[in-house]
Amino acid sequence: MIPCTDFIPAYSQLFKSLERLGGKAAVLDFWEYLSDNFLGNLKELVEAHGLRGCWLYWSHTLNEEAADFTMELDEEAGEFRIVMHACPSKGLLLNLEHVEPYRDYCEHCDVLYRRVLEPLGFECTVDMSECDRAQCSLTVRRRAPEARTRGTPLLATSD
Amino acid sequence: MAKEVMRRQASDNEYLHKDFHGALSTGIEYLDTHYGEQAVKDYLREFAVTFYAPLIREISERGLAALSDHFWQVYEREGGDAEIRLTEDELLINVPACPAVMHMRKNGYHVARRWVETTRTVNEALCEGTPFAAELVEYDEQTGRSRQRFYRRAR
Repeated sequence: MIPCTDFIPAYSQLFKSLERLGGKAAVLDFWEYLSDNFLGNLKELVEAHGLRGCWLYWSHTLNEEAADFTMELDEEAGEFRIVMHACPSKGLLLNLEHVEPYRDYCEHCDVLYRRVLEPLGFECTVDMSECDRAQCSLTVRRRAPEARTRGTPLLATSD
Repeated sequence: MAKEVMRRQASDNEYLHKDFHGALSTGIEYLDTHYGEQAVKDYLREFAVTFYAPLIREISERGLAALSDHFWQVYEREGGDAEIRLTEDELLINVPACPAVMHMRKNGYHVARRWVETTRTVNEALCEGTPFAAELVEYDEQTGRSRQRFYRRAR
């Protein structure tokens, strides 16, 4: 049995194995498959509660993962944000002296969550510029009304 | 409503996210469907010999007691029952229900067809390069109930 506490190294190895079998395309294809087949609970929560669904989902996962984070929900402003001060998964991988993490390990978060949230009407912004230090951020915003996003003027002109 | 803020440090919680079993199961299912059974075994073997390299070295040095200690910790941490019997040349592990499988069944995660390899292949890999071998004597796919045996290879 592989305990759940050893999952992250197993996950990283899976990405490496997939890349060897089918290149980066295979890894990306798997991340999309995982998003479609494993993140049903995130999808259901956001469908039921809107942005608060993000808060509910990550309240569960980040606490069980013993992450060091700040999470903010501003429903009036239509924004949800996670600032990861120390990602337990990347931190674990960086601390393993005998295992080389998968090169693009952190990318999976962007692919997985974006694929769930964007079709539900949200924009995702991920900052991974500090992921080599196990730090990142995710911002989810309610998408502006369609007319605005297509460039329709907000105010009618006088002529 | 005012902005809500949650601030947590790592020390505020225990690291135990059992839903990871569901993610691993999804990965195994994907690998099996797209690349076949051998790819699943190759992946799990490579993971085990790499990640558990310090444990494998310890098995060579301390014998089956090192494996016994490892599995005590695993099942205790996961909250699963296991009967572990150790002699100098044999380690027997009887698991009435695998905590990973039970968590997945309870929470509606699909249990991969090759999930058994997370026990069989990983146990065999743990014995590579050591004087010991592994045998999965019994395994029930519905519950993950198993009888696992580690024994000294014939000299």
